[in-house]
Amino acid sequence: MPVVKFWDGAEMITVDDRPMPWHAGMCVADLLAGLPDGHLYAVVKMDGRLIGRPRFAGTQVPDGARIDLIPMIAGG
Amino acid sequence: MVAPKPISLKALNYQRPETHRGYTDHFLDIDLSVPTIAIGTIDTKIKQTFIGGKGFDLWLLWQAVSGQTRWNDPQNAICIASGPMGGTPSFPGSGKSIVTAISPLTGSVIDSNVGGYFGPYLKFSGFDALRITGKSAGDTVIFIDGVAGKIEILSMTGLPSDAYALSDMLSQHFAADKKTGVSVVSSGPGAANTRIGCLNFSWYDNGRGRVRYKQAGRGGIGTVFADKGLKAVVARWEQVSLKTNRPADLEAVRAVAKRYAREIVELDPKQNEMARIGTTHLVPIMNDFDLLPTNNFQYGSHPAAALIGREAFEKLFDPGFDGCWKGCTVACAHGVRDFVPFTGAYKGCKVFVDGPEYETIAGCGSNLGIFDPFTILEMNFYCDTYGLDTISVGTAIAFAMECFERGLINRDHTGGMDLSFGNRLNALELVHQMAAGTGFGTIVGQGVRRMKAIFAERFGADPAMLKDIGMESKGLEFSEYMTKESLAQQGGYGLALKGPQHDEAWLIFLDMVHNFMPTFEQKAEALHWFPMVRTWFGLCGLCKLPWNDIVPEDNKATPEPAKVMKHVGWYADYYTAVTGNNATPEDLITMSETVYNYQRIFSLKMGYGTREHDTLPYRAVGPVTVEEYESRQERYDRQLTETHQVDIAGKDTPWKVAALRSRREARYETLKDAVYKRRGWTDRGIPTVATVKRLGIDFPDVLAVLAENGVT
Repeated sequence: MPVVKFWDGAEMITVDDRPMPWHAGMCVADLLAGLPDGHLYAVVKMDGRLIGRPRFAGTQVPDGARIDLIPMIAGG
Repeated sequence: MVAPKPISLKALNYQRPETHRGYTDHFLDIDLSVPTIAIGTIDTKIKQTFIGGKGFDLWLLWQAVSGQTRWNDPQNAICIASGPMGGTPSFPGSGKSIVTAISPLTGSVIDSNVGGYFGPYLKFSGFDALRITGKSAGDTVIFIDGVAGKIEILSMTGLPSDAYALSDMLSQHFAADKKTGVSVVSSGPGAANTRIGCLNFSWYDNGRGRVRYKQAGRGGIGTVFADKGLKAVVARWEQVSLKTNRPADLEAVRAVAKRYAREIVELDPKQNEMARIGTTHLVPIMNDFDLLPTNNFQYGSHPAAALIGREAFEKLFDPGFDGCWKGCTVACAHGVRDFVPFTGAYKGCKVFVDGPEYETIAGCGSNLGIFDPFTILEMNFYCDTYGLDTISVGTAIAFAMECFERGLINRDHTGGMDLSFGNRLNALELVHQMAAGTGFGTIVGQGVRRMKAIFAERFGADPAMLKDIGMESKGLEFSEYMTKESLAQQGGYGLALKGPQHDEAWLIFLDMVHNFMPTFEQKAEALHWFPMVRTWFGLCGLCKLPWNDIVPEDNKATPEPAKVMKHVGWYADYYTAVTGNNATPEDLITMSETVYNYQRIFSLKMGYGTREHDTLPYRAVGPVTVEEYESRQERYDRQLTETHQVDIAGKDTPWKVAALRSRREARYETLKDAVYKRRGWTDRGIPTVATVKRLGIDFPDVLAVLAENGVT
């Protein structure tokens, strides 16, 4: 997926196919903290790689990342 | 290779009962000892009570066995059934069969669900269920030809012993030029030489031009199959469409199937990608949450886990459609083409490996300290080929490996083998030994419960340590999830009717990760509702994966997102449309409750099914050893001080291990009390008379079993 840019040149990521602003140093925990329902997600898929909540704070979001929020309701 | 010429031992031409509203109202009853072939009827009362699938199986099995029947008695029955919705093409996951028998591992009732085409083909051939009792003298094949209206018991001496070659040969032999019209149930040499044999259920993959398999793995039903002298059961059928079940409301079936299939096609690529990578996505997730069993469930994560997870297998899986039933859009049954084993009879040959799924990766990989995807593939391939359950194989070898590393057993016992964690060649050697019935493999193939007794009695190992680290409950090996930090999942495993298998209850994420059920009562409620909804799929011929592995986008806004009630509502609509019996989501729970309680009382009839059998090894509850505790010391120290208000100042680790243990074990017992109460059971874990009356299973023989156990 090509990186979508803001009109003013700010850098972007996509979260569930919706564009969102990105900033240097952003981690997955920062990203979810900015979402109204971010607390619901225990797993995200970032550029095809699965990341669980214990690694949210330690995983940097790169510019242009494509992120899908995984419901992971029950599994097993 | 050409199949040996069959000799007919018994044959029956029959007028095929037509399917009507998902049922044929008949079952096929075969006694191999005489031999006889009979067709029985299923009346309305039985249908209303037991619904189908596991319900029919249990009803037929109950009548076949007494409380004294052992797994290898001729009276033990293998029962296989689909369900009223089984065989519907295009409704995702509608091709399941469920199998029951008295288990060689647990001595009680076992059930195992499986994909492949057999269950639907059996039903469309005229039978809602199949019961096989007795034993045959030689290599026997049962052929159910729904097209010709003929059932035969055949002697076929000289068939290949392994499932891989056997299913291929029999598909060719019985197909009459249409291999997609045949499904073969078989086992293998490992099933005959162990107690952990599985059944392979086949379907023909037209795209790849090969026979594929799914396994009814749990509880050693393959061992019962082999003990009966059975080589295979084959079903033949032709065309399948939405009309084949003759549903009450065809258009309603079409509408709900289309809605469901469309949602999966849209959302699965955004969520777990089951259609591309199956259940391998669970490996990195479980590893992140410290839930991936590692080195016999000592630990929940490992730095090398990425080598055996999603990212490895997405490169190895053969692209293409991989549904184990016609038109299933979940299509999670992946495989690896042109794999070349480096050991065993197929060494150097190109083979197709059906799998691996998550359970096999964790059981035959991380739990053995093996982080090589090719070794996992080879273990997967040979377990299927030998008819061995990959979960029991993995958990049993993991136990042997830990015993070896702790010095509880040594090379004198293992036949000279180094069984250190990570020793992939010797893990594979054990699989080959199990199949051949040779060496230390004969002991490992007995399963963890019997290994514990052998290690203690013959090898002088410490029974207390063996009890703590041997990962079985009720005699069944644990499936591959860590439960130490989820009390609800401890209950999910320990209170499961057949033993610790995740298909009955999987509550780890809801409990540990989302904290949806902080109180005992909430956990008990979850340990009522979730096992019931999961049981229901097994009554109807359905796979549960579509229910909660692909989740509607608006699900998170619902009052109880964990239940995915939108889908439960669709299942109620589906049931109504096929059977013509109006059902609400609440009705589905009641249907399951009836069968669930019947199964609990069946366990009671067999001498089990009470509180003392709902126990867990302490490894499933908390850290057994100092090194386990110290590997997660911050977590456990915090729990002692904050949750349990224990002053740990100046205390050493063995003291803290014991302090935590007493509290965690007490919590598990409290949970049992809460669950029994919620389920309408006595404090000994037995359904009350009021409960069985409410559910309509107050049959005289049921009440007699309760009375024999002091419940009146």
